[in-house]
Amino acid sequence: MNFFEYARVALESLKANRLRSVLTMLGVIIGVAAVILLVSLGEGTKNYVEEQFAGLGSNILIVTPGKIETRGGPPVIGAAKHKLTLSDSRILEKKGYLFGGVAPVVFGTAEVRYGSRSRNVPVLGVTPSFSPVRNLHVEIGSFVTESDVEAKRRVCILGRTVKRELFGNANALGQIVKVSGGRFRVVGIMQRKGVSLGIDLDDIVFVPVRTAQDLFDTDALLEIILSVRNKNDIESAKELAKSLLFKNHNRHEDFTITNQAAMLSSLYTILDTLTYVLGGIATISLLVGGIGIMNIMLVTVKERTNEIGIRKAVGARDRDILVQFLLESTALSSSGGIAGMLVGVLGAYGIRLLVPKLPVEVPSWAIVLAFTFSVFVGIFFGVYPARKAAALHPIEALRYE
Amino acid sequence: MGSAPVSEPLLRLRGVTKIYEPDGQEVVGLEGVDLDIHSGDFLAVMGPSGSGKSTLMHIIGCLDIPTSGSYEIKGIPVSRLSPEELARLRNREIGFVFQVFHLLPRYTALRNVELPLLYAGVGREERTGKALEALRAVGLEDRRNHLSNQLSGGQKQKVAIARALVNRPSLLLADEPTGNLDTKSGDELMEILTRLNGEGTTIVLVTHNQAIARRAKKVVYIIDGRLVAKEEYRELRE
Repeated sequence: MNFFEYARVALESLKANRLRSVLTMLGVIIGVAAVILLVSLGEGTKNYVEEQFAGLGSNILIVTPGKIETRGGPPVIGAAKHKLTLSDSRILEKKGYLFGGVAPVVFGTAEVRYGSRSRNVPVLGVTPSFSPVRNLHVEIGSFVTESDVEAKRRVCILGRTVKRELFGNANALGQIVKVSGGRFRVVGIMQRKGVSLGIDLDDIVFVPVRTAQDLFDTDALLEIILSVRNKNDIESAKELAKSLLFKNHNRHEDFTITNQAAMLSSLYTILDTLTYVLGGIATISLLVGGIGIMNIMLVTVKERTNEIGIRKAVGARDRDILVQFLLESTALSSSGGIAGMLVGVLGAYGIRLLVPKLPVEVPSWAIVLAFTFSVFVGIFFGVYPARKAAALHPIEALRYE
Repeated sequence: MGSAPVSEPLLRLRGVTKIYEPDGQEVVGLEGVDLDIHSGDFLAVMGPSGSGKSTLMHIIGCLDIPTSGSYEIKGIPVSRLSPEELARLRNREIGFVFQVFHLLPRYTALRNVELPLLYAGVGREERTGKALEALRAVGLEDRRNHLSNQLSGGQKQKVAIARALVNRPSLLLADEPTGNLDTKSGDELMEILTRLNGEGTTIVLVTHNQAIARRAKKVVYIIDGRLVAKEEYRELRE
């Protein structure tokens, strides 16, 4: 008896008990849909986080002043509390052969005014290397230049939101705005970048770093951002920066170097684990669905004992009976699997429509996995009833009413 | 009566004994049965219910194997065969007709007849052709697309005969084939069996009905699991 005959018999039998088949499938449908939905949710959360960090640029080390003690306990009294200065960034630039760019950042907030409109925004004092290192670029005009920094020129580059709020649709380039009362010429407008980690990257004004130091009357830097030329050198670059700064700070380690990529990758590992755990929990419901299949197959075998006897009397081998019932349980579970896939994918799109912020995505591996698993469930939970059917003695089976 | 014995019988039973142990208690189903059935025979096995005639039929039909003794089909020793080989023998060498028909209710007459061919691995077209031919032989070709549970008892049993014959087995084994039929259908059925035997089909018929047994060429009597002579049978029955 060939495969198509077995399949035909299996499908006929499922059709003959339509309601029962659908109810049995429901267990698998819910299981597969749950796997796909939960995994998609996990994946969506990961996407969301990824999007938040997307503006950060890659291969980044960030130097911040002060030492973050990971060991806890009170800080040592009298420990030097040094700040980061432009001298640090100059050293890093000069001797940091592993760095692609060194970007010192001065931070402050200021009122920016144009005509009658004003806005309180973060002002970042930066050097030209900030743009490539942080992956933030001007759309029109130019970014801060080397000579802007050296000459402490009073020029500024506006984020998209600032530009819109102050100028509307009018041309801003070349106009004079007042930053904390000082006159600044607008030389550039940034590209739209969106929100990252709660900071609206479009609601920022950039000025040359030394101009900012004058503006906020400080020589301290918020941070120095380092981009590392080669991804594999990140750890050695971190060590290099550490030793250079250590020397420059009179042998005090009063700064912290953070490896963004390492932090992110451990975060992603956590999110991946979360996805697998969710998928695993959903898989349990798929197993419960499998038990439902086994239950109904046992009933089916009992009901069709006479049929099994007839088939055996006319020459069906044990193997023929086994395959027939195995195929029936597999047909149950795999059609449940297909329906569950549809429900799961539609559900994921439903969530996407309802919660647009969460970029729910159905990973193809989840679909393949859920379906494969549902087929496997049908085989696994079908084996026992099918073996029971195959092992029936033909005479007993024929006598059974 | 009966044809001249051929040198090698189709079926040969020697000292066939079957003992059941349903609840640890031994129940003798058959005891030392010797029987030869030759090609072209039409043999009736007569006996009251519980006499062991069904057991005999199951053993002849390879649905069961004897506890002791030997049984050969065409010289093949059946008792030593695996379940798989027994299935093959049932498929190729034996056609069953049961008192309660045993057709698959949701299948059409045609698909019921096709069933043995399916397990013989015959391809679709050849299967349909052979099944139609078998239905034609019992005069039910026009009912081929009826579901078997839409057929009358007589028609069902004809379909069963067609199914039994479709693989051209060596032996047609009928267990009270008229038991669930009215007299007219029963007569009609016996005529078909007689005709098939005339055309060369070997038939073993199990019955407790004297009138039915009389249609066979030869009758053996069975009581308490033993084959007995006609006279002894009469005595014991009275």
